[in-house]
Amino acid sequence: MELLSRRQMSHGLLAMATLLLIGESYATTPTIRLFPTTVVEDLRQTSSVAKEMETGLQEVIGQLDQQQQLYHESKCDGAEDDPGCQRLAKQIGATYLDMLGIMEDRLPDMEHTVNNTRLSLEKRLRSELGNKMTSWTLQETLLGGNPPKDTSAPAPSLRGRSGMRLSERFSQYYKLVASSSSHTDQSLAVLASDIYLDMEETSLLIARTREEIARATLIEQLNQSFGTITPEMMEVVGGVKSILFGDDTSFAPIAGPPPGSVEQAYRSPLQN
Amino acid sequence: MKTMSLLVALSALILASCATSPPPCDSPQTRNLSAAIDHVKDSLSSGCAAHFDRYYDDLLRTAEGDPKPGNKRVFSEFLVWSADEGLLSQRQAKDHYNRYFNVKFMTLQSDYNNCSHTCPRRDRIMLDMERELSDKERGLLKVSLDNDGYYRADELFQEVELVLEATCTACSAGQ
Repeated sequence: MELLSRRQMSHGLLAMATLLLIGESYATTPTIRLFPTTVVEDLRQTSSVAKEMETGLQEVIGQLDQQQQLYHESKCDGAEDDPGCQRLAKQIGATYLDMLGIMEDRLPDMEHTVNNTRLSLEKRLRSELGNKMTSWTLQETLLGGNPPKDTSAPAPSLRGRSGMRLSERFSQYYKLVASSSSHTDQSLAVLASDIYLDMEETSLLIARTREEIARATLIEQLNQSFGTITPEMMEVVGGVKSILFGDDTSFAPIAGPPPGSVEQAYRSPLQN
Repeated sequence: MKTMSLLVALSALILASCATSPPPCDSPQTRNLSAAIDHVKDSLSSGCAAHFDRYYDDLLRTAEGDPKPGNKRVFSEFLVWSADEGLLSQRQAKDHYNRYFNVKFMTLQSDYNNCSHTCPRRDRIMLDMERELSDKERGLLKVSLDNDGYYRADELFQEVELVLEATCTACSAGQ
């Protein structure tokens, strides 16, 4: 009896010591600071600038769609010399120039806010994940220091978000980041990387688009004298629509894992 | 007479020792994992230690024929035995176990920060991780039926790829 109680006591002490050790290790685990308030504010602003650009473009793109429909319905394809068709083509060209003008006006703001977010995140990623971590500690951060998690829990979604409005995409980023206190370090690292790489691409695309707008405007101004619709024009409008208003066909769901084994996981003494 | 018989006995001993052939180091022929491990242990203890990697592969193949969660323990115990017998160092035993039966990637072991050490050799590391993932597929999925473990390793591989791409881009932008 005495032996039993002594053993129980020693087990109790051991458990307490273990708990203390675990508690201490959690308390001393460094948390990574990837989303300070400046990054959150940058994301909110990018979302609002994108929304403004979309609103401005929505009307002019709607008008372009109508004009194109009228052009096709009037059987103008192949009848470019017809004076009526020439008039229609000029109207389309003028609306196209309006679209380019709106983009030219709004893109600098967009570029500025996207670059701000990208640079803030870049600095954080470099310091928190690049300089303060080894590949091993990074892996442990991503695993969360826990045994394999419940696969039914939602994983942070990865890249590839065409099929979503630009403003919505940034708005989602903002919401995710704004509630980052409820996220664990592992999902924050993935989220920060995801947003940063997306910003890199967006930033490059905006810079290239700005360069192209000047060229496209010049060409269209020349075309206005002839009243022609170029295939390039149609392509640009299609591209702008898919970037701004989404393209649902590119959404590809990721298959789930095979059904898991329910047996108690074995832990080897060799396991790291 | 006594000297004569001593000489004969000595000659016989010398001849016998010359006739001893090297151990065959043959692979286990059984499909039973425990029997295969016994066979491998015997061979490893009798001069076939140099064939350790081939034997480990043989055992994995045998276990693939009868996959079950308990196989993880069998392999762990075999590796602990190998380390105790001095066939492997503790570190080698850990590497052999974790490469096949743990979610974590041994490829990512490093003492230096990501910007200075991981990023300059990122392509190589990702290639090694890919190879390790295929070993984990064998150990976790095909030998131990640990689908969740393998799924997590696969997910971890993708997350590391994404996070390293972003981190290394950020590191190089700061140079």
